[in-house]
Order: sequence, then structure tokens, then C-alpha cells
Amino acid sequence: MKHDPKASHCQCGGKMSRRGFITALGVGAAGVAATGAMTARTATAKETPMIPSGEMARIDLTVNDRAHTLLVEPRWTLLHVLRESLGMTGTKAGCERGECGACTVLIDDIPRYACLTLAMEVQGRRIVTLEGLMEGEKLGPVQEAFLEEDAFQCGYCTPGQIVAAEGLLRADPNPSSETITRAMSGNLCRCGTYPHIHNAIQSAAGKRR
Amino acid sequence: MNQFIGSRALPDLVYHRPGTMDDLLGLVKGIEGEYRVVAGCTDFIPAIRGGKWRFADGINVVDIRGVKALSGIREEKGEIVMGAATRLSDILVSPVIREKAPVLADAVSQMASPQVRNTATVGGNLCMASPAADTAPPLLVLDAKVAWRTADGEETTPLNKFFLGPGATVLPPRSVLTEIRFPAPGPDEAARRTRMGQRTAFVCSIISVAVWLRGGPEKIEAARIAMGAVAPTPILITAAESVLIGKKPNEATLAEAAKTAASNIAPIDDLRATADYRKSLAETLTRRLLAACVGDLA
Repeated sequence: MKHDPKASHCQCGGKMSRRGFITALGVGAAGVAATGAMTARTATAKETPMIPSGEMARIDLTVNDRAHTLLVEPRWTLLHVLRESLGMTGTKAGCERGECGACTVLIDDIPRYACLTLAMEVQGRRIVTLEGLMEGEKLGPVQEAFLEEDAFQCGYCTPGQIVAAEGLLRADPNPSSETITRAMSGNLCRCGTYPHIHNAIQSAAGKRR
Repeated sequence: MNQFIGSRALPDLVYHRPGTMDDLLGLVKGIEGEYRVVAGCTDFIPAIRGGKWRFADGINVVDIRGVKALSGIREEKGEIVMGAATRLSDILVSPVIREKAPVLADAVSQMASPQVRNTATVGGNLCMASPAADTAPPLLVLDAKVAWRTADGEETTPLNKFFLGPGATVLPPRSVLTEIRFPAPGPDEAARRTRMGQRTAFVCSIISVAVWLRGGPEKIEAARIAMGAVAPTPILITAAESVLIGKKPNEATLAEAAKTAASNIAPIDDLRATADYRKSLAETLTRRLLAACVGDLA
């Protein structure tokens, strides 16, 4: 499905405005003036795709099997675009510097941190977020297993944990206990629910079979 | 996203994504104003968020991941060659590395987290020149060389001469690291590495150690010991080599070499560990690794 600002089902684009962006970032009027002035600062080879600072670039993203065309600033991370442009707040912002795992998403089925990924870099790629593991209102197998095994306490790290687990199970449907431990080493849980998370992933592997 | 305390917003970036080596080198040669060459961005973004790097709006970001020639691992004329933008996770699954240089795969397997390894690159790890860069000790003992290019030519230097200090390398301005290469180890060679951190995974190393030996159970013909997080840069400790070369690898020789190695480092006290603890670890870990290598050679 392509982006269509007129269609009611499309969450993106139509709502995207310069003003919306500034509100989201909490940048004042000075920020607008500065970004405008920076636009023509650089010299570049003709063939090289270059997106000037302070200008919006158009990118295509497939998020949870849905095609979006979005206007993004070159400095926006994928995390920002998912949460602020697409309103998909399942992906959590934790440390925003690759130290916690709360923002884990799948990019072409590979788990990566959305906070360390510039949106410009994933042009044309296939993104899966927590929301993409649902079928309508029905939970996916990993989500169900997390519920059943009580694999969270406060729940803030849970979306990242679930997406990392989903990424693991897509690559290795029958992971060993050690493989699970290693694959989940990039997701911290402040509440310390690791043993339950571990059980949930083993259970999810069974559910997916 | 300014609501996250202690996290700075990224400045306005001018994002460049050249698709070929020529475009990349031409772009870097002609670029005006401040620029950074980036690959994984797994150090770039945290450095800005945490305030280690501050850039004015309009900083040029040259993303080299569009240049296919900079990624991949191959064997060529007895050497293993890795593109600078090869992702850490690609090293981990590379049949060439797993067969010929498992010591490197072992080191990479403990770096950061799976998500970071799926993004970060080996060239980025070296160019950031962290004293604790975990790809450096195994590459140093494997006698790696690094190559960089500018619009005007190419240069190669031993990795041992690459690091100048924390965050500083010999890479000249307007150059791009292109390759890391090392001789494919032969059957009479063995290499091992280990590291200590506050956790097993997802932490900066307190110390990392790699050793390499060539020879047999009767005589060591060549030896290298390298360490990370014990000096301003990852270092090759050449002083310990002469203790080993030409000797029979018995317990006393290995212990003396480990002691010599540990007395030739300059660790500091920091939030991860004390200098004394690092010295003690340096000796113990080196001794154990040497013994393991001798076992591999037998």
C-alpha cells in the first residue's frame, strides 16, 4: 500500500509538517532560522545523493508490511520517525545511544537499534516493529509467550525484548539455551526479569513450530 | 526528543551517500566545512548524544555503506582481506574468518550486543581508536595492515603504527580507510584472545588480551602479545616477544613472558577497574592464553 495523504488509513505524510516537526523536537524559532541558513553550505560531487541540512528528504519505508513515503530530516533516527512521524509508539526510546535495547526493531529481519539508525540509511528497507507482530488484535506467538511466562515487570523494555526475540526466532527457530542468552544480550531489563524472558522465548519457539 | 535528560539532539546533518569509490573519494576531497565519514553510526550517534562530540548545524556526514567495494571478506594471495565497512556480524559468520582466524571471530562475538554488531563495522571500530577497541588486539597479533585511500592515492600501514592516542589515528585528512588485511595463519600458528568486563556481554572491556605463537612443542619461533584498555591505544607488547622466541614453551618461559608483558603496559584507574587490577589480569590472562596456544600447537 503506497502512501496517500487523502486516504484515512494512512498515518503518515499528510500530517507531516515543518511545524509538527518543530513542536515534536521542542526547537524554538532560532532553530528554524539556523536550519534555513545552513542549506547551501556544502559542495558535493554531482552524482552523489546529498540531502542538505534542514531540508526534508523523501524516503520510502516498508513498516510492518505497509509502504510509507515520508518526509524526513537527515538527522532523524529511525526511532524518531517511527514514534513521531508514524505515531507507532510500540518502539520505546530508552537510552537513545545503543546501551539498552528498548528501541530494537527488525530491519530486513535483522535486529538493530532504531536509535542508532538514521532514517535516511534505511531508505527502501523493510522494517518490523512490535506492532507488526500482531495480527489485528491478536497477539503474536512471542507476545503471547511473554504474557504467559510473566516475562516483564514494569514493561518498558518489553517491546525491545520481544522484537529481539522475534529476530532470533526468525533466524533460528530452535535456539539452544545459550543461543537465547547470547541473542538477548543487547536488551537490558531494569526489573531483572531475565529468567522469565528466557522461558518465554523457549515457549515462543514451541508456539511458532 | 529533548525530553530525555542528558541526551543531546543531533545537529542538522548534511547527509551524503556516495555509491562508488570514486564518488566517495571525490566527495571527501572537495567537501567544504566540517565532515565525518561514518559507517555504522554506532559510535557517531552516542558521541553526539553524550556530548563527547559537538558539531555545528550543517556538519557533513559521509555514509560509506553505499559503496559495495568497502564491504566483504575475501582471501587473496595468502592474505585475508576485509573491507573497512564490513559489519561485525559478517565477520562472525564468515567461513574464511571462522576457518582461518577464529581468534578474530571470538573477539567479535563478545563485542557490544547483537544489535550493535548487526550495524557496526570493523573499520569504524579501528578508526574510533578507543584504547579498548576489541577488534584491535586480535588484529595486532595477526600482523594486520590497514589501507586507506584519498582521491590521489593509496597508503598502507601496519596496524601497530595506526593508533596515535585515544580517538586519534594516523589517517590523514580527506582519506577513507578501505581495507584491513592480514596473512592467513598457517598450521604451525596458534592465536587466542580473551577479555574481562564487568559483564560477559554488552560492556566496554576492562582489559582484552590476544596472543599468537608460531612454532611447535619444542621451540617457539615467533610470538606476539597485544592488549587493549591498558594504554592510551591498543598495543603490541614487543618486549615480551624476545622472552619467548627460540625457547621451549615450558611453564617457566610462559610465566616470564606474561610477567614481562604485564610490566610493559601503562593502565589507568578508571570507573571500570584499577590499574593494579589490570596489571594483575594482564599477567594472568597472558599466561593462560600462551599455555592454550602451546596446547593448540602440540
